[in-house]
Amino acid sequence: MSIREAQATTASAVVTRRRVGRPRLSDWAVRLGSIAVVLALWEFAGPRLNPLILRPPSAIFRAFFELVGTGELQEALGQSLREFTIGMAIALVLGIALGVASGRNRFIYNAIDPIVGALYSTPSVALVPLISVAFGRAAMGDEPRITTVALFAIFPILINTQQGVRNVDQGLLEVARAFSSSERRLWTDVILPSAVPFVLAGVRLAIGRGLIGMIVAEFLIGLVGLGYLIIAYENVFRIDRMFVPVIVVSAMGILLMGFVQWIEGRVAPWLRREQ
Amino acid sequence: MNGAVRIAVEDATKRYSAGAVTVFEGLDLAVRDRETVCILGPSGCGKTTLLRCMHGLIGLDAGRIAIDGSPVGGPRRNVAMVFQHFGLMPWKRVRENVGYGLELAGVSRPTVDERVRRYTAMVGLTGFERAYPYQLSGGMQQRVGLARALAMEPDILLMDEPFGSLDAQTREILQDELLRIYQAQPRTMVFITHSIEEAIALGDRIVVLSARPARVREIMAVDIPRPRTVASVIAHARFVELRDHCWRLLRERAVA
Repeated sequence: MSIREAQATTASAVVTRRRVGRPRLSDWAVRLGSIAVVLALWEFAGPRLNPLILRPPSAIFRAFFELVGTGELQEALGQSLREFTIGMAIALVLGIALGVASGRNRFIYNAIDPIVGALYSTPSVALVPLISVAFGRAAMGDEPRITTVALFAIFPILINTQQGVRNVDQGLLEVARAFSSSERRLWTDVILPSAVPFVLAGVRLAIGRGLIGMIVAEFLIGLVGLGYLIIAYENVFRIDRMFVPVIVVSAMGILLMGFVQWIEGRVAPWLRREQ
Repeated sequence: MNGAVRIAVEDATKRYSAGAVTVFEGLDLAVRDRETVCILGPSGCGKTTLLRCMHGLIGLDAGRIAIDGSPVGGPRRNVAMVFQHFGLMPWKRVRENVGYGLELAGVSRPTVDERVRRYTAMVGLTGFERAYPYQLSGGMQQRVGLARALAMEPDILLMDEPFGSLDAQTREILQDELLRIYQAQPRTMVFITHSIEEAIALGDRIVVLSARPARVREIMAVDIPRPRTVASVIAHARFVELRDHCWRLLRERAVA
């Protein structure tokens, strides 16, 4: 085989490899069909079983526009997004900083590992009342809820970043040394890029946990935001309206996951092979 | 073969596990200018460790290794290494991987670009500059590893079983490429391998190591004229004799 043939073969292999990973039309048909079946069952069979609790999707759809009409939904969403965004930002900054520091420095690792291990093993929900008390019963601001989101979200980011930094390929470290890399370039060329997929996997986990933290905090501390809407309409048995914020939270999760995936494609295009 | 000694290994000893395992002991070896020395031995006999010592990636426990007369203290910019595991950064495109060493050396942008172009072409990867390593076959990835080392325009090339993980066909193609590149730009080269055929095809001399603790079993000259191709070497009358001789040396070791 000549070089040129080898090049041609590999070039076409590259193209097919990309195509294989992509979902086919029939895949999409099955996915959409599955959703349609569940919605149809819910719409027509649900109300027959329990008309009060299993409100049909069409009623939830109407309730959505009612809540948008009164402005309740926008206000609650704005409140929840504020808490979530700030809490998540804190978790990202602290988690990545502590993760990198502890992944690289034995002293810092030993100093924070037992605490991180203990806090991560504790169900975070159990700590929410503590946060509430710590900020004082009188606190009316968003701080305790932001703290809750950060507490829920930080550990997967921290632990994954730490593992990413620790699991850097020893072979590549040796390559860097063989080419006389400086310590700074070692970080930018080898250690940080190899931690990126770990960090992003941590962020994906953190989004789910952060949303749980957000809702739980809104249930337990102060009753505001989307969590408040859920409780408020549950109390008056407007289950159709109660479902609206639930679906909004779920949509937030889906959109944020998609966003992280998009980021991943931008900052780590070499990971496309795994999709 | 004559010429100045570029790499001198004198009474070199390396131990692992707090001295419990002796990797090699009392090794003496000289690599002369523009000479290809193939170090032949079975896997795990310490060949790679020796090469890493030559580049100063790890230190010796006794003896010394000098390059151009001065003891090796760490990697030098006029010595470049090619790795068995390729050692490409998955997050760098081909051109960034090829230019990696040059960038670290602080070479100016236009020079980096020019050399990346030249050496990418030399290993036959023109048109793949923007590809990521995962988009390339194993053989092509090692071409990148080779271009990265050649781009440094080093005086000395250290090759750590570079074709060891490739399939037989790709390996032969790359051996021919390496012979062609040597012909165009002869350099001092130390080539680690466990393949007798590869050692004969590429080497001016072959150093056969014994079992661990490795010692120099024999050093033999490969008296097959250049320019060579793998096919011309195999067809040469001396090839079978040299191969049988190497086999005997390695087998004696295996039996003993």
